[in-house]
Amino acid sequence: MTQPDIALISHLMRRAGFGATRQELDAYAVRGYEATVEDLLNPKDAEWLGDDMVRRFDLEASGMINAPGSSRNWVYRMITTNAPLLDKMALFWHGIFATGVPKVINGRVLYDQINTFRRHGMDTFDSILLRLARDPAMIVWLDNQENHGDAINENWARELLELFSMGVGNYTEDDIKECARAFTGWTIGNTEYMMVRSMRDSDWPYGRIAYHFDYRPEDHDDGDKTFLGHTGNFNGEDIIAIICRQESTARFISRHLYHFFVADEPPVPAWPYTPPRDPEAIDILVRAYFDSDYDIRAVLRALFNSDFFKSEDARYRKVKGPAEFLVSVLRMTGEFDIPRREMIPRYRQTVWMGQELSNPPSVEGWHEGSEWIDTGTLVERINFASEQFGDADKPGVSAMIDRICREDTGRLSSEALVDRCLDEMGAFTVSDETRDTLVHFARNGRSRESVAHLLRLSASTQEFQLA
Amino acid sequence: MLEYWQTIGIVAMEGRGFEYPTDTVAARNGRLYVPNRSRDFGERGVRVTIFDLDSEYYGTFGHLGDRHGQLISPTGAAESGQGHIYVADDYMHRITAFDYDGGFVTCWGSHGAGAGELNGPSGLAFDSEDNLYVADTHNNRIQKFTASGAFLNIFGSAGTSEGQLRLPWGLTVAPNGDLYVADWGNDRIQRFTTEGEFVAAYGTSGREHGQFRRPSGVAVDESGHIYVSDWGNERVQVLDADGTPLQVLRGEATLSRWAASFMETNREEAQARASANLSPDLPDVYGDDPHTQSAHVESLFWAPMSVKLDDAGNVYVTEANRHRIQIYRRKSSPS
Repeated sequence: MTQPDIALISHLMRRAGFGATRQELDAYAVRGYEATVEDLLNPKDAEWLGDDMVRRFDLEASGMINAPGSSRNWVYRMITTNAPLLDKMALFWHGIFATGVPKVINGRVLYDQINTFRRHGMDTFDSILLRLARDPAMIVWLDNQENHGDAINENWARELLELFSMGVGNYTEDDIKECARAFTGWTIGNTEYMMVRSMRDSDWPYGRIAYHFDYRPEDHDDGDKTFLGHTGNFNGEDIIAIICRQESTARFISRHLYHFFVADEPPVPAWPYTPPRDPEAIDILVRAYFDSDYDIRAVLRALFNSDFFKSEDARYRKVKGPAEFLVSVLRMTGEFDIPRREMIPRYRQTVWMGQELSNPPSVEGWHEGSEWIDTGTLVERINFASEQFGDADKPGVSAMIDRICREDTGRLSSEALVDRCLDEMGAFTVSDETRDTLVHFARNGRSRESVAHLLRLSASTQEFQLA
Repeated sequence: MLEYWQTIGIVAMEGRGFEYPTDTVAARNGRLYVPNRSRDFGERGVRVTIFDLDSEYYGTFGHLGDRHGQLISPTGAAESGQGHIYVADDYMHRITAFDYDGGFVTCWGSHGAGAGELNGPSGLAFDSEDNLYVADTHNNRIQKFTASGAFLNIFGSAGTSEGQLRLPWGLTVAPNGDLYVADWGNDRIQRFTTEGEFVAAYGTSGREHGQFRRPSGVAVDESGHIYVSDWGNERVQVLDADGTPLQVLRGEATLSRWAASFMETNREEAQARASANLSPDLPDVYGDDPHTQSAHVESLFWAPMSVKLDDAGNVYVTEANRHRIQIYRRKSSPS
């Protein structure tokens, strides 16, 4: 396998997954790039640590009174799955359809939403939006249980158009009202009891009760609505069908996918006033969207197989999000072959790095890209990565050192030793300047401890912050 | 046949109530002892709660810590012939004995795979000679100790063959003198002599009656009937002595006294609850997964971690995710 092949697959796995070990890269490279893309898009026999193991040994990750329990369940999956794109897409949709614990309260309900994103995140966009409209966490997050036939609440309708599909400037205030009317009666079961418990943050008497979707026809406005120029007795399904036909929707979702998988765009509020970084790339994705009847899997296939994605200029240009960063480290260090108490402090690190899953700063989600980094979060990220990689007792780190030290490291030049370490860290590439620094450090010794220090220093580099 | 009797419990981060309870000991002093793992190893949430069948609350002991008499991750418990409550801790790989009031008696255990060493102990049971059997979970074996912690024997190894185990959990010494083990990862109950000789296995993987999905606990009565907390299927099964299924329980919890007391002082919540349908028809999107159903329907068993019997034949089902004990009793014969 040539080094360029490995470097390209490594790039793919950093973006479509959470990075890969050198051994995993070899296996993917044998399959070939396009076959690997297809495997990621259509995983068969997805495996991970498993719900049974998590539920038995991390009880709050089973009962999910609060969000950290449900998020730990997700992290366990992200760090052990062999179908990483499913969870990368769950993370993608979580960033856009950002739903938070302060209003939803119930960790299990947030978990159900993430499960929906994982299972259906590459379906057609209309079916994704329909599942979202029926998702109990989203209903509560955007108050649709308060959206009644005789008194609308516009919150869900407004965000559906502004943040989840078309973007500002592509609809009117009247469209929002008509959209809201179409979603009246879309609520959760036992609304009053669940809302009383939610307002009181009550887990009494027997823990949380998960919410379920409930459609109440008697509370639905059956009158004609005029939405985006179309008139009829629309229900929510009709509204979503109209939304998904819009060019603005295709462009909005394509830009989100480009932003998440290819290169950082400015924050979403700037999009109406700032052209895309690569308009031709967006055109390609928009075409794939319409050619496939809004199939997100088809759009992703076009994206991963495109020249703009595979370009060397695209590599190490995206700042890893905190959850992505944490997961990429934990996958390599191999600490969690079974659920352990130590996951609690590991997971908390994402909070200090600026991203608590299921607790976005607002309905807009997180401002991603370079905004993940400030002096505080950068220190947290570097400390975390260097601490994890510097612990030679961790199985993944120990295995890396074993493989590096299998050769007579005493006979390796400092340059060769650095290259071996970077290669073990998933064909990790650094700038010449960074490599010079590592080579200088490598002159300090050849012991296992010295190799561990070199891995640790490599994980502290600027490049390690990037995907 | 069993019939539902009552529920005891309420979720509580400390004191009266439970938070992720893992087991129940019906002790000979008439009190019940329930170890709690707590939400995220809370300082006061990790504890053993003492109460009785009338829901009288007597206090807690064994709070979070690694000193003698403290616990970090209690997983299972049993009473010795001397009247001491033994608690397994799968984080400290340790067994700790307390007196009835929670006073520290003794502890032992260190992490490892050698004889007498432990790796994530869970279920505990005593035999009539006061020997203690420990489900040495991550070592995939059972270890036998004296009540003071002297190592006696090991049996079982990782695997799926007769006598082999995958992450064993609850266990019990039956009135017939044999040891029954919830062989969690192999979806079966295995029966051994107390010397570790394989006797029989009950159940296969599945959701049919008589099949199991990740059983967590087992109890056996005088007539040889086998009670299994079928954790992954969110139910309790009763089998006859040969393993033929007799009864399946899915849970029918009602308000405990502690829960009723909460409702009396929280009227708004009680009124909203009274008008709610707590056994709703769930949308198809949730499928027929028992764990998901239990997350939505409060009366059903959710994460039944153990099933235990008392001398009167009452059956105690400890539900971690619902923070309560559902108690069943033998149905009285029609007169």
